[in-house]
Amino acid sequence: MLLAFALSPLLVVAIGALLLMLAEAFSKVRTGLALGTVVVFFAGLALSASVWLYGLESIPGLEVLAPWLIIDRFSMFMNAVLCLGGGLAALLAGGYLPEHKIERGEFYSLLLFATLGAMMLSASGDFLTLFIGLETMSIGAYAMTAFRRTSARSAEGALKYFLLGSFAAAIMLYGFALLYGATGHTDLAGVGAGVKSGEHAPMVLIAMVLVLAGLVFKVSAVPFHMWTPDAYEGAPTPATTFMAVAVKSGAFAMLLRVMLTCFGDARSMSWSSGWPPVLAWIAVLTMTVANLIAGRQESVKRMLAYSSIAHAGYLLVGVVATMKNPAQGSASVLFYLLTYTVSTAGAFGALILCGRFGAEAVSYEDLAGIGRRHPAAALPFSLFLISLAGFPPTAGFFGKWFVFRAAMEGGFTWLTIIAFLNSVLGAYYYLRVLVFMYMREPAAGAPIATPMRSGYVNFALILSAFLVVVLGVSPSLSLDVAVKAAAAFGGGAG
Amino acid sequence: MLNVLTTLFPAEEFTLLALVLGMPLLGAIVNGLFGQRLGKQAVKTMALSAMGIAFLGAALTFLVLDREASHHPGHHVKLSWQAWQWMHASGTRDTTIPIELKFSVDALSGVMMLVITGVGFLIHLYASAYMEKDPAYWRFFAYLNLFVFSMLVLVLGDNLPVLFVGWEGVGLCSYLLIGFWYQHAPNAQAGKKAFIANRVGDFGLLVAMFLLVQYTGALDWNGIEAGSGSLVNQADQMQVHLWPIGGGQFQGFLSFLQPKNPLMITGATAVGLMLFLGCTGKSAQIPLYVWLPDAMAGPTPVSALIHAATMVTAGIYLVCRLSFVFVLSPFTMAVIACTGAATALFAATIALVQNDLKKVLAYSTVSQLGYMFLGVGVGAFTAGFFHVLTHAFFKACLFLGAGSVIHAMHARIHDDVKSQDMRYMGGLRKYMPYTFWTFGAATLAIIGFPLTSGFFSKDEILFKAFVNHPVNAAAAHMPAKAAAQLWQQPTWLGPVVWGMGLAAAVLTAFYMSRAFIMTFFGEFKGWTIGKAPAGAHDHHQDAHAHGDDDGDHHHEEDLKTPGPAPHESPWQMTVPLMVLATLSLAGGFLNPGLFASFFKDGKPPMEHWLEPVFEEAEKAIQVLPNAEAAHHKEYPLTFAAFAAFAVGSFVAYQFYIAKKGAPAKDMAEKAPGLYKLLLDKWRVDELYDAVIWNGTDALADTAVSVDQSFIDAIIARLTALVVAALGTVLRVFQNGVVHVYAGAMALGIVVIGWFVVVPRADVVVSHSASNADYVLDAAPGMGYGYRWTPEAGGKPQDEKFSPASTQLKLHLDADKTQVVKLEVQNAFGLTATKEITVKGPVTEKPEKPEKLGQVDLPSVNVGKN
Repeated sequence: MLLAFALSPLLVVAIGALLLMLAEAFSKVRTGLALGTVVVFFAGLALSASVWLYGLESIPGLEVLAPWLIIDRFSMFMNAVLCLGGGLAALLAGGYLPEHKIERGEFYSLLLFATLGAMMLSASGDFLTLFIGLETMSIGAYAMTAFRRTSARSAEGALKYFLLGSFAAAIMLYGFALLYGATGHTDLAGVGAGVKSGEHAPMVLIAMVLVLAGLVFKVSAVPFHMWTPDAYEGAPTPATTFMAVAVKSGAFAMLLRVMLTCFGDARSMSWSSGWPPVLAWIAVLTMTVANLIAGRQESVKRMLAYSSIAHAGYLLVGVVATMKNPAQGSASVLFYLLTYTVSTAGAFGALILCGRFGAEAVSYEDLAGIGRRHPAAALPFSLFLISLAGFPPTAGFFGKWFVFRAAMEGGFTWLTIIAFLNSVLGAYYYLRVLVFMYMREPAAGAPIATPMRSGYVNFALILSAFLVVVLGVSPSLSLDVAVKAAAAFGGGAG
Repeated sequence: MLNVLTTLFPAEEFTLLALVLGMPLLGAIVNGLFGQRLGKQAVKTMALSAMGIAFLGAALTFLVLDREASHHPGHHVKLSWQAWQWMHASGTRDTTIPIELKFSVDALSGVMMLVITGVGFLIHLYASAYMEKDPAYWRFFAYLNLFVFSMLVLVLGDNLPVLFVGWEGVGLCSYLLIGFWYQHAPNAQAGKKAFIANRVGDFGLLVAMFLLVQYTGALDWNGIEAGSGSLVNQADQMQVHLWPIGGGQFQGFLSFLQPKNPLMITGATAVGLMLFLGCTGKSAQIPLYVWLPDAMAGPTPVSALIHAATMVTAGIYLVCRLSFVFVLSPFTMAVIACTGAATALFAATIALVQNDLKKVLAYSTVSQLGYMFLGVGVGAFTAGFFHVLTHAFFKACLFLGAGSVIHAMHARIHDDVKSQDMRYMGGLRKYMPYTFWTFGAATLAIIGFPLTSGFFSKDEILFKAFVNHPVNAAAAHMPAKAAAQLWQQPTWLGPVVWGMGLAAAVLTAFYMSRAFIMTFFGEFKGWTIGKAPAGAHDHHQDAHAHGDDDGDHHHEEDLKTPGPAPHESPWQMTVPLMVLATLSLAGGFLNPGLFASFFKDGKPPMEHWLEPVFEEAEKAIQVLPNAEAAHHKEYPLTFAAFAAFAVGSFVAYQFYIAKKGAPAKDMAEKAPGLYKLLLDKWRVDELYDAVIWNGTDALADTAVSVDQSFIDAIIARLTALVVAALGTVLRVFQNGVVHVYAGAMALGIVVIGWFVVVPRADVVVSHSASNADYVLDAAPGMGYGYRWTPEAGGKPQDEKFSPASTQLKLHLDADKTQVVKLEVQNAFGLTATKEITVKGPVTEKPEKPEKLGQVDLPSVNVGKN
């Protein structure tokens, strides 16, 4: 029974998804689907919190599930973050889909299944379950990207995402196969032990390259990022939100778990030939390229897509910091994921709120003067952008602060300086939105964006704004939680 | 009764203070949050009962205190209540200083508490009628209650941080109340000015707190007193280095700035001067007094309570409270005395020619505050503090009287400015008998009419100024030679400040008599400047709806037609006047220094009461030439003070009653420059404008031009250009073609693969300082094998590459260097080579032993794993 309790966040999302699918198929009523999805997500969130508070140490028999599912504080933290991200995306969908006349029930089931995949991904301790989780998540995301069936951009983005995603999955799978060949294991811990022994080094090294490539594709880091802007722009905004927050969080959870468990030994983490220098340079490239291109965008949605790539770069800085202190580095990544989730979901939500059917707010010009005309929509938008830019006292500031601190304490001063300079670049395009909202008026004759009205979207914005402020004013509680969650990797480095 | 109280409230847990503090706070919260809905009657009831209960609590506290004091004669009795532990500050030498939210009451704060709640209650009562017609009645009482709360926090706080909370709180309330009628721009300006001037002083108080933490390791009164010994430490490192700042030396081309002897002051002087800077802000002394006259923009009860009776005396309270710190530095004492004397005289000259009744009182307040500082500055703490008390009585009475006059004038002429102008008054004696008599009594007190309260307190200050001589107490504990080098006050300083005080007393007698005569004697001149609305007799209708006048009364200004006569104010206003007038006349007998010999021990009640508080400080005060001789000077000096009163008031009588003001006009015409200068308040405001405002503006302008011409024009544009160009270039690759995307991925994989395939040989050299042994660690790598050649060119240690030999140990003699070669072979059979030069210990320069391993690697590679 306690085992079921420990699995309850996963179970509730899975069962919820199935029930919603049935309801969608057999019921004529369409209105309650969004609400049901939101309830399922927040139930998952609440259950994760209660399992956390109950204490995983006092639940016997968890080893039965290992290595397929590893239910520890890390996966429980990720469950909560993913359910929060999924819940916010569901809230946004509840407002966005009806407004834009594309409400069909399968969206919600896809959302739930994709989130379930992400939750599995962060909990899996074996390549098999990992891959199943990954594909469950990815296929849901592909389908949601293509959800606006009549739109060419939507289809184009989805197809690119699907093609490149399959390519990356294949590469990663090839890496897994090589690792199995080299070590005889498919469970992460066993692979880690085999890698540590140093046998079959050429095979292991090539496998590491391939696995790494697959992982950084999922977090959309440069140069594996190019699908991101197209897919993000083509997808309906709630799906974009989901990809930006939940898919990315799941991918980072996978990245941390795989790299620290399989390649956590001193030789794999060596600065001269291991993965940390690779990730460090990928982080530098990701931050710089994404920020430079984001500054040149005319579409706010596309800018936010590049912004999410840039944030992947900052997160990779935290991953690099695990080289010196796995616990501190991964704690900073986890906390960053939380702050990034609320800020990004909020920003996309505010963008949704600023538009209407047939007049979706997409470009900077669309937002001109909205600060004066509709302050209730512009104010939360500003808050989320300020948080993304990393100004105190918002969540984003402390997210960056802890990642940068972990990097500094690990001795990566140069990396921190580059990350810091990049966050200055970031401020440019975030604040540019504020400039348009508050200091510009729309050109004469240009269509004027009018905000939509939706209780779902309003609630999502209020919730994220609340969290952005709370995490920014008193980050210590959630940071403590992140530190405890990351303690799983305390002894990761050989 | 008292037994019950002492049992209920033991001295260490005196929770009655919570009631005294809590009631005004409760009033402020209730009126502030709900006042608008509650209506006037409820607001009035709340505010007045809060003050009344607080006063009762204060009176009970005082009785308990008195009883405790009589049980422990000679002891510094204190009742204290700790609300909670507030925070911990870290002190020097790894100590933590607990900072408690603690309140305590002793003889000194007990008197202050009574004055604040007592006078505060009277003024609340007065204001309940005075502000009757104001639409923001509730806001006024919320602020006023909040002020009383803050003031009580200030005087009851048991440590400097708590005092500082109150200190800032009263500053805030003062700001809010000066700008109470904020719709009028000058009022808002005046509020701002007060706040900013006070902030300058607050900076001093903060610095003093930091210094006290540094020196005494405590911020509560007992702790500061216990640790005050280190404040007078003459050792170089214990002094505050003013030049070169913070010690050190100017070298190179700056060496001309290096003085022969560094300029240092003791901690006591630094703390004292910084505290006093805070006092000059709050208590309106030169150079920060400029805000107080402008503060008269607030409602008159505010001027009476905050800007005369209580808040502005906070500075004197602070000096008295920390008297034991101030007396450690005779220099600080001299600065205080001189500033006080100069302010007393300077403000009095301005008051001579002002025509606005409240302005005269404002400058007289500045001048009287100067007296108080003169008193405490010469070490006459009891006398200085006694003047705080008497001044609270008579100045509150004067302000409230002025308010009553303005109330009447305003009801008649509906003009904010003219209703305060004494040139339009005159003859009010007939119409406002209560106001006349009470104002007269208070005037007698302030000009020092014999046996009134002001006479005794001012006389005491002047007498002490003449005979007191603060000495450097540290001298007694030092060798004679070192002691001779300590700064001591010159003996002529006392008589000089006495002379200045005496001159100010003459001027005070003159300008206060002038104000009194111009207001109440002669003919009423207000007949000719306006009239009330025809047929209306409801003066209250618009009495204080300042600013509403334009909307409600579009009456024609008929300058000739007489209107209704000015009228006396309601009882809520006259009763406080009578109480305060009585106190002004009789309050002096609390401490009649002149008649000291009639009392037990030769000490009048006030002195007796405060004796334990100032006992420590007064040890440092010498009486010149000796106690006996000084005693004989008392009567002659009293006569001088009396003469000052007589001369000043007689001249005023001659000028304004006997000759109807003609001599004053003559003098103004004969010396128009001087008259204008005085009328313009010595143009100090203009001076500050020119120096501080323009200086700040110039600095800001410079910053703006640098920003626009350099930062914005060059740096910002250039970086923006580069960033935009790079972004545009990078966008080209994002062309939407999926082959390109996949190609980029493939390229990425190839580059990562290349990184993994190519071996890199890195070495970290570590060295133990004790000997010449070095350990060379090769960086780990998946599938790496290592081969070391200890001396390049020689034979390798081993022919084969071995994964195990990651380390090489070396022994190097002093000043030897050795080149070590490391070869690495990776899993793919590729090799890399690295040569490292290891230097042995350097004998000549032992201070740089860390820079031994000359490894040309990026620093991130050092010391990992």
